[in-house]
Amino acid sequence: MMTNMTRRILQVTTACTSLMAGSALWADERPAAMIIAQGGLGDGSWNDTANAGFQSGLEKTGVEGRTIESADVAAQGEEIMRRAADGGFGLVISLEWIHGEPMEMLAKDYPDTNWVIMNQTRTGDNIASVVFGEHEGSFLAGALAAQVTTDTSIEGINADATIGVIGGFKAPGIDKFIVGYIQGAKAVNPDIEVKVAYADSFGDPAKGLQMANAMFDEGADIVYQVAGGTGIGIIEAAKARGHYAIGVDSDQDGMAPGNVLTSMVKRVDVAVDEIVTGYAADNFPGGEVIQFGLAENGVALSEMTHTKDKVPAAYIERVTAYKAQIIAGELDVWDVSSQGYPDFFK
Amino acid sequence: MSSSIASRSIGILLPLVVSLIVSGVVLLVIGKNPLDVFSLIATESFGNARRIAATLSAATPLLFTAVATAVCFRSGVFNVGVEGAFLVGGLAAVFLGFTLPAAWGFALFPICFFAAALIGAIWLYVPGILLAKFEVDEVVSTLMLNFIAVAITGYLVNGPLLSPLSGNNVTPLIHEVAYLPRLMPPSTLHAGFLIGLVCVAAYGFWCRYTPAGFEGGLIGLNQRFSRAVGISVPRTIVGVMILSGVIAGIGGAAHGMGQMHRFSDGFSPGYGFTGMAVALLGRNHPIGIVLGAILFGALASAGTTIQLFSNIPLDLVNIIQGTVMIFAVVELGRISLRRKKGTANAG
Repeated sequence: MMTNMTRRILQVTTACTSLMAGSALWADERPAAMIIAQGGLGDGSWNDTANAGFQSGLEKTGVEGRTIESADVAAQGEEIMRRAADGGFGLVISLEWIHGEPMEMLAKDYPDTNWVIMNQTRTGDNIASVVFGEHEGSFLAGALAAQVTTDTSIEGINADATIGVIGGFKAPGIDKFIVGYIQGAKAVNPDIEVKVAYADSFGDPAKGLQMANAMFDEGADIVYQVAGGTGIGIIEAAKARGHYAIGVDSDQDGMAPGNVLTSMVKRVDVAVDEIVTGYAADNFPGGEVIQFGLAENGVALSEMTHTKDKVPAAYIERVTAYKAQIIAGELDVWDVSSQGYPDFFK
Repeated sequence: MSSSIASRSIGILLPLVVSLIVSGVVLLVIGKNPLDVFSLIATESFGNARRIAATLSAATPLLFTAVATAVCFRSGVFNVGVEGAFLVGGLAAVFLGFTLPAAWGFALFPICFFAAALIGAIWLYVPGILLAKFEVDEVVSTLMLNFIAVAITGYLVNGPLLSPLSGNNVTPLIHEVAYLPRLMPPSTLHAGFLIGLVCVAAYGFWCRYTPAGFEGGLIGLNQRFSRAVGISVPRTIVGVMILSGVIAGIGGAAHGMGQMHRFSDGFSPGYGFTGMAVALLGRNHPIGIVLGAILFGALASAGTTIQLFSNIPLDLVNIIQGTVMIFAVVELGRISLRRKKGTANAG
């Protein structure tokens, strides 16, 4: 594994050479565009978080930028991206997963435009692929939950060493979270039972509520939600039953203050901000896969504003210690998206 | 005849003009110059060959869904289930497109399109027969079937048919030999647009020159009279529903094989419903449908790309689209009122 520093230097050199032609012609003036994914702005999650980073990056650098929304973003992606490149945009970021293939194809036609895709790896000298270490963040969530779940001095916690996780769908992208969570829980308590279920929907809060209640009935007191909109029901169930949910992607602690133990926050804002800043400094990581894990502050547990007084400080210290070990490379967290499925979870 | 053409053009133009006025007021309120914005929309829609191609590309699925809707609406069958048939048809075509051996080459086209048409036909046959035999309200049944289509395709695309390469809700890509050719590369405008035009033309021919098309129109005008002259209303209803399903299914196949090359969540952002607005706006007339589809295609395509060059939120385009739809529906209200009064003539 390369250290952060060497990687950074490598990025600078490769980006400089690949951008020579572009920067000579355009200086820093070419604007940036960011295509908003399905769900649109105002989703309180992925798109909004990314936009916060985009805006802060623009503000810092003085680069001009636009966000583009479309009701038909899946089918029109290719046309939008081409239009942006034809229109003189120097940086085009897409938050929509499905734009990966078209971007890989059309980026060749626009060598002077810098392209960014999320949550997948695309090849091309002018494409930067951003991936997140969700497994690492989920590990910390699991480690925290496993410590809390047997501490009956905390309100709403029973003695059973049982926790739960509800995924939107049975898919590698979701199991990446779930496996990290299980691994983190087992690191604390090898005998812990982690109940796993899938809602088969990212948009069904009623089903999330039902499934979380079923898990609570079976002795779980903390349920991690990896189910998008379905998860809102999981958080509601935690609130109604006086148990705990763990939020995902954005800081969901405030959705039911006191009943969301923590949130596994995906800092897409950090990623986008860094990309825009790098672009403005002629330091675009073209052709690279950029990992935003714990080390890069790309994933993190939330501040726990409403729960940190309930949870003994020692538990949080242990989580922080795991975090340091993961960053130092002493502890490897299983990554389903690159390693497939581990033996303890099929 | 000429008066009907005139009233048809008013039917298209009036909602557009009204919506331009409404959105112009909105623009003034938010401190933008409406003329600048409208001219930007116009250049982004039709400014050069590439932009025209983008507009036609966005219009392509609407050609199919509008014809599929019009086939039923002109018979007084308020089928709102085109969206569902489009989805299941699209998924069927895509499924075969990546499952069958790539070596079958061009044979994949007829197979995928046939499968999509068949699934679409079956899909709308069900509410058709329920309406014809048991008088189950078709608005309710087809609307509900849309939810079922979304649920089934959503389940399949997130489960059994999920691409192993992805964590997101997409199927694998279809074989490259099964991609419909692009008409003006690099634009995404593909041969599906031509298939759509053929469907519109066939629909026009069917309405005018075939007994089934004539009967379909007649039961839309007056069911009692149709029965009196010996037309089987139930059979005609089932017939138009099947036809609607076939066209919607083919539309889904064209979208899957020409545009998306896979199935995904968001495969249709509501083409079925926009198609309804197009059919209403075009008064079920083939030329009206083509113009309406291009109008909505332009709004969808330009409405997105103007955001690159101006600080205009997508909401504004939604306002334009919404007002066009409202006034298209107002027209519908007038027509159905006229029909209730029984003053419509068969011309």
